[in-house]
Amino acid sequence: MTIQEQYKTRVRELLSSGTVKMVIGYKAGTTADRRRPLFIRTPEEADQLLLDSACIANLSGYLIAEGLLSDEKRVGIFLKPDGIRTINILAAEAQLNIEQIIVLGFDITGQEVTALQGETAGDFSALIESIKEGAPEALKNPLIDQLEQLNPKERFAYWQAEFSRCIKCYACRQACPMCYCRRCIVDCNQPQWVNTSSHTLGNFEWNIVRAFHLSGRCVGCGNCDRACPVNIPLRLINARMAQEVLGSFDHLAGMSDTQEPVLASFKKDDSETFIL
Amino acid sequence: MSEPFEPKIIAFVCTYCTYAGADLAGTSRLKYAPNVRIIRLPCTGRISPMFILKALQKGADGVLVSGCHPGDCHFTHGNYHARRRWTVFRALLEFTGIPLDRVKFSWISAAEGAKFAEFMNSVTEDIRKLGPFDQYKELIKETEAPATL
Amino acid sequence: MTRILLSDKLDNCVARWRKAGLTVIGPVKKETFSSYAVVEKAAEFDLGLVLPDRSIKGLFFPQTEPMLEYTIKKQAIDTKDFAPPSDKRIIFGARPCDASGLAIDDPLFGWDYKDEYWFQRRNETVIVSIACTRADDFCMCTSLKLAPDSTKGSDVLLRPLQNNKGWLVQELTDRGREAFSQIADLLQEGSEPAAPTVVVAEKFNLDACVAWLQNPANFDSSFWKEISMRCIGCASCTFLCPTCHCFDFQDEGDTYSGIRRKNWDSCSFALFTMHTSGHNPRATQSARWRQRIMHKFNYFPGKFSVNSCSGCGRCSRQCPVDMGITETLQAISTLKP
Repeated sequence: MTIQEQYKTRVRELLSSGTVKMVIGYKAGTTADRRRPLFIRTPEEADQLLLDSACIANLSGYLIAEGLLSDEKRVGIFLKPDGIRTINILAAEAQLNIEQIIVLGFDITGQEVTALQGETAGDFSALIESIKEGAPEALKNPLIDQLEQLNPKERFAYWQAEFSRCIKCYACRQACPMCYCRRCIVDCNQPQWVNTSSHTLGNFEWNIVRAFHLSGRCVGCGNCDRACPVNIPLRLINARMAQEVLGSFDHLAGMSDTQEPVLASFKKDDSETFIL
Repeated sequence: MSEPFEPKIIAFVCTYCTYAGADLAGTSRLKYAPNVRIIRLPCTGRISPMFILKALQKGADGVLVSGCHPGDCHFTHGNYHARRRWTVFRALLEFTGIPLDRVKFSWISAAEGAKFAEFMNSVTEDIRKLGPFDQYKELIKETEAPATL
Repeated sequence: MTRILLSDKLDNCVARWRKAGLTVIGPVKKETFSSYAVVEKAAEFDLGLVLPDRSIKGLFFPQTEPMLEYTIKKQAIDTKDFAPPSDKRIIFGARPCDASGLAIDDPLFGWDYKDEYWFQRRNETVIVSIACTRADDFCMCTSLKLAPDSTKGSDVLLRPLQNNKGWLVQELTDRGREAFSQIADLLQEGSEPAAPTVVVAEKFNLDACVAWLQNPANFDSSFWKEISMRCIGCASCTFLCPTCHCFDFQDEGDTYSGIRRKNWDSCSFALFTMHTSGHNPRATQSARWRQRIMHKFNYFPGKFSVNSCSGCGRCSRQCPVDMGITETLQAISTLKP
């Protein structure tokens, strides 16, 4: 039985036994390489389910849709390791009750999809531990290294060219499961804190603010990067920030549902060589 | 002849230590560079990195941020939180090419009037040497110009 | 016999137009992203693109544009208007859907108040469209009763030759004739056949959709909630759309001076309809998606007798969750009106 069929059976079981009220998964999209989010509420709807190496979107943002979890019923969701880390963060930040989430874990290597054993986010802690061990290597990116070789002026020029394209559609924000603020800082308009204008100056502001708010929270799922209609390489900034919190504070986001957020905690002996 | 460049510097300081330090510098009649405009906030923990960005965006050539020494925070650990944030924010500025030598951080207590005056002077001199923050000024100019296409 | 523009003459044409003071614009692909951009040489064009990622809209209705500058003094308020640019431009290689999009928005920008920022640019810009010989899975102009070679909104339509060496020239407006008179000697007479335009299958029955949308009972249909469940509420569909035209005014500055700007806005944003009181008449994403569809295919045609969609398919092509107008209208066309 393929992993897709295994999971279809599992989803039908979960729904028909009433364990979950809904399962969030993937179905076919407009073209052969596209997948759409799928909300499965009846065992029959599970027929549409698809699970393959194109199922890369992190679906966990749907869990915090208004009202979904407020009836305290459980919801099942297809998650890769980055998605599991995401729900850990959401739980740690009190956005959801991790008990309500049944994880249908899977991972993709190349074209191959493998099932991950476990049912709740906590069951994957060993896996996440190993991700942390490999993180310094995994976060490496030749483009980041290249950019860091440049002098600040050249780096500024690089980002100026990238950000100048930004149209402030906020797809990066909306696609990000971590961007759940009821009122985003850019929507605070009495007065308007961050200007809505998408001139390059304003685009710098928005993109820096976005990256800062995700520092130590981003799991690198790539939703923002894929959502960007003007193809700004947002993953680079996010990955650079993840390197920073890992290097400076030994923090990898989403280790557990009780992990303290890196910017809401401190150590008295945190390094401060830059403070005069 | 154009006028010699005088940097515009914005200082975000906490009211309990650095601002009191500035007061002490004043009552001690210490002279320091007039280029720095001080903005007083309750705690360094209240100084959002967005303030720093906003200052640069509004035409500042440099920004400095200062508060109580570790352990001295009026709110016990506001400055510890701030310190982490600054670490991350500096990495972000560096990666996006915003020169780090325009954004300075320090701890200045209420008793350090002399350190305050000296710090203002040294930062002003450093920024004067760097010259105006042209990269951002160009972007600001762009926002004030009519659409090109 | 028709007039033909050969591709190897294109560079001369660009030079000629530039010499005549025209800003030459066309589809350009830079690394991972394509848009209509200013060029100096024909080699910069990428005429093989199905569509540039960004629509033509921004060249007529920029994402942000200063309107006026204000200074508040003790006794007076000074204001200075920003005039729209008056440069003459030629857009070479626009897609017919993009050009149609402009024609669709013309009545809107000229309805009660004539938007000089739009019309100044419209009047100063020659649009040379190239009929499509390629399409992708998202193209849907035929479903909107347009075509890969529709002339709507264009000043000149070029049809690629079958031998791929140039285009048949069809001048449509005086503006187009004038721009092409400057390159008249670079054109030649010929009888080469044009390549067939691409066949874009009709994806939905527009009339059936419109009938359903016009039925007031369907306004509160549960369909809206179902279809938009995965919508994440970003504005990429509206911002990439060649006909979406909503904007917002923002004063950037302080109490003493600043600039009033006109910025793109989107009905996808919750803030778009948020009242000062905190009440939001379009409180849910489904209500916002309904608005977008209703506006395009019910309200807008009700006022201007034309659908506010030119079928470019960018909304679906770029949607992070693979939604879009096509899917919604396909679903609607199967419903009972």
